[in-house]
Amino acid sequence: MKIQKANAGILTNFEVLDFLRTRGAKVDPMGCLGLLLHQSVYEYLLKTPACNQTRESIYEFVKRSEGFMLAEADKLNVINWRPSSAADAYAMIEECGKRFSRDYRGEACDEDKRVQEFLDMVKEVLPPPPPKAEAEAMQE
Amino acid sequence: MPPHLLSRPLPDAIKTEVERLFLDKVISNLGLCVSVYDIRSIEGGSIHPGEGCSTYKVSFRLLMFKPFNGEVLVGRIIGYDDKGLQVSLDFFSDISIPGHLMQFGTVRGPDGRWMLKTEDGDELYLDLDDEIRFLVSSTKYPPIPIDQKEDDPPFAPMQIVGSIKGDGLGLLAWWAADEEEGEEAAEQEQEQ
Repeated sequence: MKIQKANAGILTNFEVLDFLRTRGAKVDPMGCLGLLLHQSVYEYLLKTPACNQTRESIYEFVKRSEGFMLAEADKLNVINWRPSSAADAYAMIEECGKRFSRDYRGEACDEDKRVQEFLDMVKEVLPPPPPKAEAEAMQE
Repeated sequence: MPPHLLSRPLPDAIKTEVERLFLDKVISNLGLCVSVYDIRSIEGGSIHPGEGCSTYKVSFRLLMFKPFNGEVLVGRIIGYDDKGLQVSLDFFSDISIPGHLMQFGTVRGPDGRWMLKTEDGDELYLDLDDEIRFLVSSTKYPPIPIDQKEDDPPFAPMQIVGSIKGDGLGLLAWWAADEEEGEEAAEQEQEQ
């Protein structure tokens, strides 16, 4: 086997989920072992924010995040895990404080405000993950 | 392409064979193969002397699980020992979070569980089944051992090392409860 390209591209959790959905419909009796792994990955991804994302919301997010000067890796983390608090943002964006200390024009600005602007945009563009069944049960 | 698959349409049969070869297998430095993404081209169909199967040259793409360094993942704690925690993603369980990559102040409690003592004096335990958000620090692909003793843990061809040292990392419960207070806490840390 010859490896032509080690990395042909990075996929978001949503894209993997979408792909597995299209493959999930086909039941392949020859690949029973494969189905188990597909099923495992599929079920794992259903528990992440990717489960109710749409391609449009992801495109919208990429467009709207241009002014924030994020690295590809940061955008991937944000799309996959949809931060809702400042702590989440700091976990997902490398050097978050430094990145948000400048606004889209390159001028210095208040990083907390910029982080909040970013979180507001994420809240608006990416759908919130559905509430977990356990949390609902506890509230009852 | 083994003879028993020859009755199937060629692309399907080839996909099945490629899946059989790669699905759920780790390729060194490339990660765990989760699926065959697509088959791009199939050439050949020659039969070599002495063999019953036909040989094809296939170009295909595989969907790999290979988190990059700095990628955020959420898993469940499935074990702990004196070196650190073991975390699982349901489909992949060879993830470890060593003691030195935990939040500053995390120590091993008297019952063996790892515990973070906060400035307020709270003791936050990292328990089995707790959901934990971590950063991928590195991924190792150790070579297959030639000799293994009876007691050795099963060989893990792909080992992810995670870190929970940093804002927003660690148990999801630590950060969810403080969501409203989260911004205050972040501001306080920055002032310090």
